[in-house]
Amino acid sequence: MGKSRGLRTFAMILGPGVLLSACDGPQSALSATGADAIAMEGLFWVMLIGATLIWILINGLIYYVTRVYTGSLSPRLAHGLIVGGGIIFPLVVVTSLLVYGLSAMPEQRAMGDGVKLRITGEQWWWRVEYWPEGADPANPPVAVSANEIRLPAGSRAEIELTAAKVIHSFWIPALGGKLDMFPGRVTRMSLKPLSVGVYRGQCAEFCGQSHALMALNAVVMEPGDFDAWLKAEAQDAAPPKGYAATRGAEIFAQQGCGACHAVRGTPARGGVGPDLTHLGGRTSLAAGILPMDREALMKWILSPASLKPGARMPGYDHLEREDLSALATYLEGLK
Amino acid sequence: MARRQWTSGEADRAEFREERRSLFRITVAPTIWALHFAASYAVAGLTCARLADDGPDVVLMRLVIGAGTLVALGLIVWLGWRSWQQWDASDEGRRLDDQPTSRDRHRFLGHAAFLLSIVSFIGVIYTVLPVLLIGSCL
Repeated sequence: MGKSRGLRTFAMILGPGVLLSACDGPQSALSATGADAIAMEGLFWVMLIGATLIWILINGLIYYVTRVYTGSLSPRLAHGLIVGGGIIFPLVVVTSLLVYGLSAMPEQRAMGDGVKLRITGEQWWWRVEYWPEGADPANPPVAVSANEIRLPAGSRAEIELTAAKVIHSFWIPALGGKLDMFPGRVTRMSLKPLSVGVYRGQCAEFCGQSHALMALNAVVMEPGDFDAWLKAEAQDAAPPKGYAATRGAEIFAQQGCGACHAVRGTPARGGVGPDLTHLGGRTSLAAGILPMDREALMKWILSPASLKPGARMPGYDHLEREDLSALATYLEGLK
Repeated sequence: MARRQWTSGEADRAEFREERRSLFRITVAPTIWALHFAASYAVAGLTCARLADDGPDVVLMRLVIGAGTLVALGLIVWLGWRSWQQWDASDEGRRLDDQPTSRDRHRFLGHAAFLLSIVSFIGVIYTVLPVLLIGSCL
């Protein structure tokens, strides 16, 4: 009996502790590094601490009148408690929270003053287009990428969101709030990341079979590094280097990969799947579910649907292992 | 039938007329709140959907909603004052109006209308806070 009680106490302490460990890491609204996420984290703590204090106060009062002081209260005191605690106190609390919450909103919805992005939710990946600071989004984007966004630290990026076929929701908890993406409609948000790092985002609206496998990394860079990166990202793909990569490029062309994927600077112009021009330079593969390396690329090309159920890319299991490896080498080299 | 013993038919009708008016009056403050709510959202929605994002239209919209709010609050305060007086129609001071008499019914309706005026006043303030604090269509 004593042992099981000890175990229970241990579990009661350990349980929430294990859950709390999920509050950290690259995808947590509680390790906020963006200006908007920091404001929301503040709101969360104010609400949590306030609610805890009220909970303690109410339970303390219940304890007091049922266990400590069980005599009768004067009608005057009871009336005062009802009017003060039941009407005036909640009115003051709700009004303060409303004013606090509303006054935090204009900053959250402020117009971006730096780079512009348009992100389109696809099943199940993200199409990402970039316009540098000051560019007109009516013009074609300077760079097209997928499944990863890069942002300069310290400035507010303007982000347009839309979706191809079904509703998705764009959410990078460490940087800001989430916003839904609708087919045929453009919603806008802005994000102001403050610290360099890699943060994880996730589709936050059920969008079909592989919804849970639709993630992305947000890479926040120093402004100078970001400018250099965007300049490089806008360039065409570098020609393959070495025998394996050259062979891989040939296989890429032979297998008709270019019908769905674009590799700028080559005849591959497809727009159905993700742009692969600088695929090897990204931090993950297949919308945040695999590392970006040769083995993962081979695994993916062999059978996409086994890694991402419902994915429309066919498996290339008829390729010889050497050819598959060459193709992966070529793709990994597209930095 | 018992009432006929202490009041005439004429007085009965007059009392009924008065209470019918009171009954109608207790709904007026919440109705003003509802109209103010619908009108504010309609004006903001139309301005933001059809006109410029942050131009002079938004300033005009805020002024229009602000003026509507002052009118709504003024009416609610006036109704509140009227019902406060109705609640305290006698010289006995305010108390629970729980007797089945015409005087208590009259005072109860004033009491209810007064409390609803307070709720409506707060409701109108809450409705207009976004216009006050956000000030743009973004």
